[in-house]
Amino acid sequence: MKKYTLAILLCGVIANAGNFSPSMQGYIETLKSEAKQADSSFVDFNAKRGEKIFTTKHIGKSDDSISCTSCHGSNLTKNGQNPTTNKIIKPLGPSVNKSRLTDIKEVQKWLRRNFKDVYNREGTALEKGDVLYYIQSK
Amino acid sequence: MYKKIIIPLILISGVYADDDRWGNRNDVAPVKNAIYIKECGSCHFAYQPGLLPQRSWTKMMGNLENHFDSDASLDDATTKYLANYLKANSAEKGIEYKRSRKILQSIRPNEVPLRITQTRYFINKHDEIPKKMIIQKEVGSLANCTVCHTTANKGNYSERAIKIPNYGAWKDD
Repeated sequence: MKKYTLAILLCGVIANAGNFSPSMQGYIETLKSEAKQADSSFVDFNAKRGEKIFTTKHIGKSDDSISCTSCHGSNLTKNGQNPTTNKIIKPLGPSVNKSRLTDIKEVQKWLRRNFKDVYNREGTALEKGDVLYYIQSK
Repeated sequence: MYKKIIIPLILISGVYADDDRWGNRNDVAPVKNAIYIKECGSCHFAYQPGLLPQRSWTKMMGNLENHFDSDASLDDATTKYLANYLKANSAEKGIEYKRSRKILQSIRPNEVPLRITQTRYFINKHDEIPKKMIIQKEVGSLANCTVCHTTANKGNYSERAIKIPNYGAWKDD
């Protein structure tokens, strides 16, 4: 019985290798259950859908047509730049910037703010999960 | 008796506070608060709190959801912490610093500026700069202090330390 549990745990760790950090995985699970609650046919988040959310332009908070790429650029392994302040934004892609998607509080803060900046509303659990899958893939 | 000793001591400590090792006086108290630098400095230069009066910071911190056309909201505890930090280090609290004092003097009592760039002192100091130097992509706007003021991070905005990208030093007539 113990061996069986260990095997499952190990599979989980292996399946998760190169994916979200353990603490972030906890946040992903929370988002999943929220997404499932909103739509019972929900299965999993999807990086392709996330990419569309990330790159689609929308009239945002500033009344300008912007997308996430307006600040982060379309290559997430490269620096971005805030077009208003010119401040350089370090790459979002965890493959080149290990600190990304590790601190849940930070992730929640930026998702809240940036969805409002681009879409003028907060993201749904489905949208947030999709975007996180997209970023994680970079 | 004590007053005679303590007052000169306070004056001396005020004069020498934050001088660098060559005795160059900082223009405004430098930012040392790591939380302020992290939270406010991620999108823009962490402007020294001494560049605006207390009432400006209070107004700004009351509406971070609409922060210059951007949502800069923070959790309640961090908002409160930073509002207190800004209050405790606003221009009024640093009148021994030249720029804090002059900015403060240039604002009418009924004004609550949210942009340092809209204070009269700032405008007077920057109104002779040709537009082409400001709108070039390396600069963007006058809010981008550090790009020309090479020692802005230390709270030093001296003319000697100005280096405008593609144009170099600046001499005010």
